[in-house]
Amino acid sequence: MSFLKSAALQVIGLFVADWVQTAVIVAILAAAWYAIAGLHALPLPVLVGLVLLLAAQHVWFAVAEARREGRSRQSPSPSPS
Amino acid sequence: MGTQLFTFGAAFLGSAVESVEALTIVLAVGLTRGWRAPLYGTVAALVSLAVLVVVFGQLIVQRVPESSLKLIIGTLLLLFGLRWLHKAVLRSAGVVAMHDEDHAYQQTVSQLQGAVERRDWVGFVIAFKGVFLEGTEVVFIVVAVGGTSKYFPEAVAGGLLAMLVVAVIGVVVRKPLARVPENTLKYAVGIILTSLGTFWAAEGMGASWPFDFVSIFFLVAVFLSASQLAVMLVRRSPVLA
Repeated sequence: MSFLKSAALQVIGLFVADWVQTAVIVAILAAAWYAIAGLHALPLPVLVGLVLLLAAQHVWFAVAEARREGRSRQSPSPSPS
Repeated sequence: MGTQLFTFGAAFLGSAVESVEALTIVLAVGLTRGWRAPLYGTVAALVSLAVLVVVFGQLIVQRVPESSLKLIIGTLLLLFGLRWLHKAVLRSAGVVAMHDEDHAYQQTVSQLQGAVERRDWVGFVIAFKGVFLEGTEVVFIVVAVGGTSKYFPEAVAGGLLAMLVVAVIGVVVRKPLARVPENTLKYAVGIILTSLGTFWAAEGMGASWPFDFVSIFFLVAVFLSASQLAVMLVRRSPVLA
């Protein structure tokens, strides 16, 4: 049973490392989908916006995680005795 | 022709990286505890993966409409590729340690040392789990890259050839393939999968890309530039200096 649970967690982990980042990516895709299918906006500006937002979130979350890692290295939490 | 080569190459590179990781686990088990159990585990995992591909692959391709399939697979491929790219950026910037097959091998060996029973379930389960989980990634890459384009056979051929090449090299050298530039490969494959995921997700929404498949090269350029910018910003970050 624990094998199945760890396998399921690892399969989810293939796609999700940070739930906030995943939510942001899905929100960007949903907004683009709504603009194209719902608002019938011109596809080219939507595609350009989609690509730029995906690239921007990639940079943002990489830098944010690096900062978190850096802070946790500078102030290591006390180990439980 | 270009599209076929691109599909084959993406499937080959992605599958090769995962096959190297699976090989490391199987070698660690085989050289520590004997070959019978890990080979049974490997075969069992490969059969399970083949069953999954046949059952779910057929169901998905036959039942799900093409646009929905492109949107779902594109979104998953985008999430998958960005996760690889994110890790590759942090490794390139020195925030996370480089993946080291020698280290992974030694870690598995130290976990496995001990008395081996006649039926070595530990060896079987570890090999099965390693091959199955790494194989799931190979299956996903092949299905995602090939299933949404018209070149499924090329993607399957790329995945199978990668597994075969890695397995043959593993049998010949009998040690982890530490010289494979795994992190660089993951960086490159992360960019390719992210670009393909964006391309198909947008097509699934009903948008048409200018210049059709050629625009993937534009996407590759954008995500490569973004990841290089991320590496530069992380290296300059005062917290990490």
